[in-house]
Amino acid sequence: MIRFVDTTKVYSNGVVGIKNLTLRIEKGEFVFVIGASGSGKSTFLKLIMHEETPSEGEVYVNGYSVHNMPKSEVPYLRRSLGVVFQDFRLLPNKTAYDNVAFAMQIVEALPREIRRQVPLALGLVGLSKKARAYPEQMSGGEQQRIVLARALVNNPAVLIADEPTGNLDPKTSLEIMELLDEINQRGTTVIVATHEKSIVDAMKKRVITLDRGELVSDVQKGLYTDEN
Amino acid sequence: MKIRTLRLLAKEGTANVYKNKLMSFASLITIMTTLFVLGLVLLVIVNVISNLEAKKQDLQVKFYLRVDASRMEQEEVAMFIENGRASGVVSEYQYESREQAYENAKKDLKHESLMEGLTPDNFAEGYFVSLTDPNDSDQFIAKLKLLSGIDSQWITYPKDELDKITGVVRVFNYAAIFVLAVLMIISVLLISNTIRLTVFARRKEIEIMKYVGANDWFIRFPFIIEGMIIGLLGALLSHLLTSQTYGWIKDGLNNLFSSIKISDLQLIEFDQFAIRILVVYIIFGTTIGIIGSLMSVKKHLNV
Repeated sequence: MIRFVDTTKVYSNGVVGIKNLTLRIEKGEFVFVIGASGSGKSTFLKLIMHEETPSEGEVYVNGYSVHNMPKSEVPYLRRSLGVVFQDFRLLPNKTAYDNVAFAMQIVEALPREIRRQVPLALGLVGLSKKARAYPEQMSGGEQQRIVLARALVNNPAVLIADEPTGNLDPKTSLEIMELLDEINQRGTTVIVATHEKSIVDAMKKRVITLDRGELVSDVQKGLYTDEN
Repeated sequence: MKIRTLRLLAKEGTANVYKNKLMSFASLITIMTTLFVLGLVLLVIVNVISNLEAKKQDLQVKFYLRVDASRMEQEEVAMFIENGRASGVVSEYQYESREQAYENAKKDLKHESLMEGLTPDNFAEGYFVSLTDPNDSDQFIAKLKLLSGIDSQWITYPKDELDKITGVVRVFNYAAIFVLAVLMIISVLLISNTIRLTVFARRKEIEIMKYVGANDWFIRFPFIIEGMIIGLLGALLSHLLTSQTYGWIKDGLNNLFSSIKISDLQLIEFDQFAIRILVVYIIFGTTIGIIGSLMSVKKHLNV
């Protein structure tokens, strides 16, 4: 499903994002990627979604060779991924419904398909009532759930979340995590980068720990503090 | 891309014109003013050319019959000129009979003594012919030479003057093309700058679309529609502005010309060129809008 083979990413300013990383994530897994700021968590996710390309080594995602991918194929890779960001990133001048529908319009889904799937996705994240609201009219937690609905609506094989609870209060964070778990139960591979100890410890999932770009530990049913 | 998607994106672009009112307005004003300047420059050039062309019409082929031309030969020449008028080669002509030539000569020559012993029979009949297309002059003169009644050494045409005018007209034609090209480039730069601001304000949006997996055309297309609509609106408004301004300038200048007795200079009517200018404006406006959009979106697509 996702495979890094001796991957290194050095940014143009010399900063090392990822160093000699080799690992696999199988279909249906739920994985936390943890580490302090600058540990390479974000770089790891950026490499998966082709926001960055590796300086050395190989990256395979959903059957795509991301390390030597033609530019024209990038949209297709991204459509096979659902992406969730810390700062939500909803289109500001579209309603919740239209934001979710947008992901389906991109793949040129049939209008009746859109009319069926979007309410389902909104229902799944528990925000059917907010369909007509604009992002600025919603709380952070609500916005993040809309983002989740958008990420899910095309049934992606992999869901990537970069600090999805970074801007949310603990209670809302937990709700988002429960949603992610639920999504994972339906068969979607979920990869979450976070530095929130309480969440990682509560979920007891596979934990990949990075430090200065290097893999420090990789344990099943791990805790945030497993490396020590 | 499917028709359905194109329609969706076109709707999106149209809605964006309204949603980004301020930027749309700024772009609209930019397009409008550049087209306005373009139009006025073009109209100046068109006026110069049309006045020069009118000057060309004033150039006449002058020729005289032989003094001893027979009646048949006279009629042959008269027929030839009349046929020329019927077929449109000749736009108008004046005929000078022997008597008129005699009278004119008497008037011109102050000393009666020089006219002594001369009668109208000593003078030749003359024709002063204006051609519809002055470029036909060579051909026309060649045909005149075939007529036996005409004294071929007395066929005259101010060819030098024609060549000069033709040269000047050519220069102005090139100038028009040059001005068009330069203004086109300036307009594209101006408009792309304005749109760049719009796009910069919406770069986050573009970025999000990219992350969700939209391909470049999906993102570009609404911007193209947006640029096209603004370009079209700018063209229409500019046309209105140009026609009003030009009418005002034309009246003023025509009054001035007649008051200082240069009545043969005449500014053309806007209506004669209204459609052509509108077409130029629409083509320019939409092209500028589209190119401007494409240029400014380009930078932000590399995510």
